[in-house]
Amino acid sequence: MTNDLVIQGLVKTFGRVHAIDDLSLTVKQGQLATLLGPSGCGKTTTLNCIAGLENPDEGLIRVGDFALTDTAKGRILPPEQRQLGMVFQSYALWPHMKVFDNVAFSLKLQKVRRDEIKKRVFEALDLVGLADMAERYPFQLSGGQQQRVALARAVVTRPRLLLLDEPLSNLDAKIRENSRVWLRNLQQQVGITTVYVTHDQSEAFAMSDMIAVMDQGRLLQYAPPEELYASPATQFVAEFIGATSFLKGAIHAINGSRLKVRVGSGDILALSDRSGRQWVENQNVVVGIRSERVEIARGQSENLLHAGVVVSTYLGAKWQHEVDTGSGRLKVETVDSVTSDRLSLYLPPDSILLFPE
Amino acid sequence: MATLSRAVQPLKRSWDRAIQWGVVIVTAILVIFPAWPILLQSIMDRPLYDKARALTLNNFVKVFSNPDFYAVVGRTIVFGLTTTVLSVGVGMLLAIFVVRTNMPGRRLLRNLITIPYYVSPLVLAFAWGTMYGPQGYVTILARTLHLPDWNLYSLGGIIIVSMMYTMPYTYLYISASLSLSDPQLESAARIGGANPFITLLRITVPLLRPAITYSFLLILVTTMELLSIPLVLGIPVGIEVLSTYLYKLGIVGVTTDYGSIAVVSIMVVLLVTGLVILQGRLVAQERRFVTVGGKATRPKPLDLGGWKWLVSIAVGLFIFMFIILPLVALILQASTPFVSPFINPLTMLSTDNFRVIWNTATYRQSLSNSLLIGLIGAAIGIFFTTISAITAYRTKFKARTAVRYLSLYPRAFPGLIVGIGFLWAFLMIPGIGAIRNTIWVMMIAFIMRYLPLGFSSISPSVLQISDELDRAARISGSTWFGATWRILFPILRPAMLSGYFLLFIAFLKEYSVALFLFARGSQVIGTTMIELWRQGNTGPVAALAVMQLAITAVVLLISQRVLGVKLHD
Repeated sequence: MTNDLVIQGLVKTFGRVHAIDDLSLTVKQGQLATLLGPSGCGKTTTLNCIAGLENPDEGLIRVGDFALTDTAKGRILPPEQRQLGMVFQSYALWPHMKVFDNVAFSLKLQKVRRDEIKKRVFEALDLVGLADMAERYPFQLSGGQQQRVALARAVVTRPRLLLLDEPLSNLDAKIRENSRVWLRNLQQQVGITTVYVTHDQSEAFAMSDMIAVMDQGRLLQYAPPEELYASPATQFVAEFIGATSFLKGAIHAINGSRLKVRVGSGDILALSDRSGRQWVENQNVVVGIRSERVEIARGQSENLLHAGVVVSTYLGAKWQHEVDTGSGRLKVETVDSVTSDRLSLYLPPDSILLFPE
Repeated sequence: MATLSRAVQPLKRSWDRAIQWGVVIVTAILVIFPAWPILLQSIMDRPLYDKARALTLNNFVKVFSNPDFYAVVGRTIVFGLTTTVLSVGVGMLLAIFVVRTNMPGRRLLRNLITIPYYVSPLVLAFAWGTMYGPQGYVTILARTLHLPDWNLYSLGGIIIVSMMYTMPYTYLYISASLSLSDPQLESAARIGGANPFITLLRITVPLLRPAITYSFLLILVTTMELLSIPLVLGIPVGIEVLSTYLYKLGIVGVTTDYGSIAVVSIMVVLLVTGLVILQGRLVAQERRFVTVGGKATRPKPLDLGGWKWLVSIAVGLFIFMFIILPLVALILQASTPFVSPFINPLTMLSTDNFRVIWNTATYRQSLSNSLLIGLIGAAIGIFFTTISAITAYRTKFKARTAVRYLSLYPRAFPGLIVGIGFLWAFLMIPGIGAIRNTIWVMMIAFIMRYLPLGFSSISPSVLQISDELDRAARISGSTWFGATWRILFPILRPAMLSGYFLLFIAFLKEYSVALFLFARGSQVIGTTMIELWRQGNTGPVAALAVMQLAITAVVLLISQRVLGVKLHD
């Protein structure tokens, strides 16, 4: 029996607002799954339902055989009986307790022996590299240190699950990048099943085994990072996870999974579709284009797109151009400045995504 | 490309410095004015107005060799500490029940708890006397039912009534602190395995420490200077605390002992100053516990389970017995010839007591005086403290720290002593006898006493306004006062309005400053109530108290419903 986290049919409404709309997903034991989405998408509510800080209207949440919430059986465990660890956005270190006492809090409640408490607290503090800070108060620590104490406090009880609520969002950009590497290594080292909430897609890609993209309470796609990037399920997902521009177009020709689309400018683009959708000729579609993959054409003969330059902005390392294709605008980057006010762009097949209109 | 034309501005002469110096000087005079005659008198062998006076230390020797003085100091400390502990305990418990639990009827109870905040302690003492005094409604009822007897006119009675008067302050501070604290701190404890009760005990309550320390010392200071409740309930049975001791020395005694009054006053001011300094220190030390509020929604309130109705009934009963009933008794006493549990009060309703007040010119005048002092004095007070706060926090003026300290220092002056100081100062300065007995003197004394209230009600709002706003005005060519007048004042209007009402209610309630100062023509509601009470006219006292309550209620209603003013969070 594995100890996967299983969520089935989770529903939570606030008045008329569907905060969570029939959400189901499974996190494999030891994996890190990220709930990703814009603010108000229901990711934090979902996390709070797992934590027991919020009661869902319907649904089942279990870790292995241990049901945390099962509305069908009228079972909703209070947070203190769920045996979880959680790191909050504000870290929520208790300001009136020293670092040691913060970490030792749960163990004391469990009536663990004194010397055992001491041993385990220092193990946890060693894990986050803060054993020498045990006698400090939280207000004497930097933001990054506070976050690590919060993590030590969350894992010291060897919980069933680790829940992380945007733990990096209060850190400076530089520390944040280091922290996510560190956090990911630590999670793999401890091997604890983790649910991570963030609105930052690069954080999600850097850390996750699985990413769940949510919007307006619904789960839009649940997939490993590479798959999510390669074939986003909807236009919203494509837009949210990467710098994607959208043009209007129509199916020009179908040859198995090889498709050709015609965009408004009359240019024909070839691509291979991995979405498994059924297309018909002349069907109106939305063409998603990954800006970072677009190049200035250098002798290529197909997948060319002709566009006029609207505005060019110098960004130091590169130039960014906003171009008008006649069927929508597109952002393109080049290393050198462009002299002409019209451009021929080359779109590699894997830079093009297709969505029904 | 549009061009911007440059306006040539003539250099305006700036009055900024003059206004800022004016603020410091006026505040300094207000604060020093009542203090110096008391200091001077303490080392003089005769009253200040006596030309033959000479330096002496005898006054100190006299007070310190009097065993009565030590007994009074001891009793004051017992009274102060007991009242404070009870007040903080009850206030905190009520705040937790109302803010953090699912006790039914929280909204209604929340509003009722703060009622004593708006009632003069003098009125509260009368009201309790009517309901729980030896001839009180409930007392007689209990006696006929052969329930255990009690005596309100005792140290215990004084403590209970003072606790009820001060409890709303604790309640307000602690509930504000509770609703500001980061709910994630409690959630973290729950996740860590603590049930709601342990969370409350180990996390919520310890986090209240700054608020508890603050209100503990605030209330200790309040009890040290509280005059009316020990006066009404203690003097008739010979129980004296420092404030009533001073009152007796100055007003009741056959010959006024100026030297002793001065020495006792200095002792009280020193004691209170010490407490105020301690308060500042401790609160600064505990600030490290203050956390930035989280963005998360409030956690679910603590579920009291089956206990919730019991708690609700207990709290409701407490409020009914200790807050509602005394005020009902007061209204009954005002509108009937006498109060007795054996006669239905509705059968003997009469407006006689109100008529006595209304038809006696001096009594009626005390109403109009109080209203006038409140309406005009509060406006001057809030206007002045706003300029002071802006001078203190929004200038590079070198005396700005002095403005802050001077504005807050009157906290250490009990009202009675402010009154004594002003009286003596006016007695000493020749040629201003004409204004001595006017309500304008009273108004100045009231404003001085409540400088700290005005200043501290407005300064959080001043500090909240981004200083880029007035800097932008300065860059655009405005003077400091111009920026203050055109930018800060309009933004501060809501805060000034609520400060105005706070001061108005404080002025309407004030009596202790007036006790020494008032003369025929400058009597206020409080002094008239004490006069009537000393003559044994309990009916008219109640009528006047009801009128004061009615004015307060109307003003509160107008300020909150019509003007949308929030007096506290």
